[in-house]
Amino acid sequence: MIEFKNVSASYDDETPVVDGLSFQISDGDFVAFVGTNGAGKSTTMRLVNGLLKPTCGQVLIDGTPTTSLRTSQLAQRVGFLFQNPDRQICCNTVRDELLFGFTAQGVDSAQAIPRVNEMIERFGFDGDAEPFLLNRGTRQLLALASIVVMRPPTIVLDEPTTGLDYRECTKVMDLISELHMAGTTVIMVCHDMEVVGDYAKRVIAMTASHIVADGPTFDVLRNSEVLQRAHLLPPQITDISMKLTEDVPELHQSSIACADTLQQMEDAIASRVEKEVR
Amino acid sequence: MAKFLEYVPGDSLMHRMNPVAKVLCALLISIACFCTSNLVFLCAVLAIDFALAASCHMTKQALGLAKAVAIFSIILALIALLTTSTGTQLVALPWGYIGTGSILAAITVVIRLVACAVPLFLVMYVTQLNDLANSFCKILHVPYKYAFTFTSAVHFIPVFMNDMSQIMQAQTARGVEFDCGFVKKIRLMAPLCVPLLISSVRKTNSAAIAAEVRGFNLRTRDSGFKEYPFTLVDVVCILACALLIVVAVALNVVLPGGTIFMNLLASF
Repeated sequence: MIEFKNVSASYDDETPVVDGLSFQISDGDFVAFVGTNGAGKSTTMRLVNGLLKPTCGQVLIDGTPTTSLRTSQLAQRVGFLFQNPDRQICCNTVRDELLFGFTAQGVDSAQAIPRVNEMIERFGFDGDAEPFLLNRGTRQLLALASIVVMRPPTIVLDEPTTGLDYRECTKVMDLISELHMAGTTVIMVCHDMEVVGDYAKRVIAMTASHIVADGPTFDVLRNSEVLQRAHLLPPQITDISMKLTEDVPELHQSSIACADTLQQMEDAIASRVEKEVR
Repeated sequence: MAKFLEYVPGDSLMHRMNPVAKVLCALLISIACFCTSNLVFLCAVLAIDFALAASCHMTKQALGLAKAVAIFSIILALIALLTTSTGTQLVALPWGYIGTGSILAAITVVIRLVACAVPLFLVMYVTQLNDLANSFCKILHVPYKYAFTFTSAVHFIPVFMNDMSQIMQAQTARGVEFDCGFVKKIRLMAPLCVPLLISSVRKTNSAAIAAEVRGFNLRTRDSGFKEYPFTLVDVVCILACALLIVVAVALNVVLPGGTIFMNLLASF
């Protein structure tokens, strides 16, 4: 469990980048942090894995304050995927890159090598390939794989889909979804509301260093006041259903008004058409 | 707070001076430091440096720079200490001795380097890189290509420092311990040069292409919109700095080797 207790933090000891954050993330949760640039989302992520220590309040990982642990110790509990994979990749081959975390944490090679081989097979990597010659999407996948291979109970993703095309984005997010299904806690910063709507179970909206909303994904994404305060646009289907409800008052309380996915919208329209025909 | 060598906006005298005059003044101060070994003079130059820094509200940065240069110059100071056998003998060495003169020489090395480096760095904090490049082209007729290369190199220092810091953070997040001994830290940092090099090459290549597609090679000496006239203040400052060289040379002739301090030290 990750717990923020009235946390404030700054980079220059003067201006707080996040101010008075309090929330809990339970094991197995899938939380997306949304909000404008400069709202404090990435800083919150850095607080989770101890790269930044709070200037006020406490960040607890399984009850232990991050201030009492080194980031390298926290790496066993919290895996962190940076937005730019090129900041993370530093080895000459894909295999070495996947082994890097094990070497850093002093894990036995007998334990590490089978996991690395499994990961290479799963992602279809060429183990001897030069990582910097791979395309952007594959480098992002490699960076994610090098975190996942360590099997941390929590993974933090700072804008994991930035710069990826739709196919690469789906590949990355499907893997993250699989990990979540297997019990991994996922915390993600994301600007793509479609991705947030499709994958996250809970949304925390931030603006100007503060949390403005925290709740189930579509409760937050359907709250017009929150959307306005955090300068967010809801996912397309949610947007359409909200606008239809606004323009056609008799659709209130109908299944169209509650549709958040394409499937839900299709079903709602089909049932409505069927009802009208009758 | 400003990053390393990043322009800090302001309205001080140094901010308002002509960029070429600022560079010239900094160079003259540096030359003056190398014209004499008189410790009193070097301390006075150091005091002038800090007064200048204070005048543009950059005492903190100047102190940081002085500290960094002092640490760097310790190696040179050690060499001076071990190879300059002058003054009253304090410690005997197989090849000579460490004397009061050796200590004085070591101190001189550190103070000289700090005194000459601070104004050079200070110029970067009070001058926008664009102004520096443009004024060099307009006044000194330096081809823009070279001025741009210089300013780009300086501009990329904080960028690369930031990149290195981000790369180190990414590795720390994967379990690498950088809080260790110097040798181990260097060993851990060596592989990180790969991503730094890759990102540096990509960044410089992108910057070059971006400049080219915006007509970089069409630029001439007259292309800049801003003019950089020399004012009376600039001339006075240059003359004052030139006077420092004259004083340094004169002191070197009259009181070579910081005699006052050597005598003081010897009296102990």
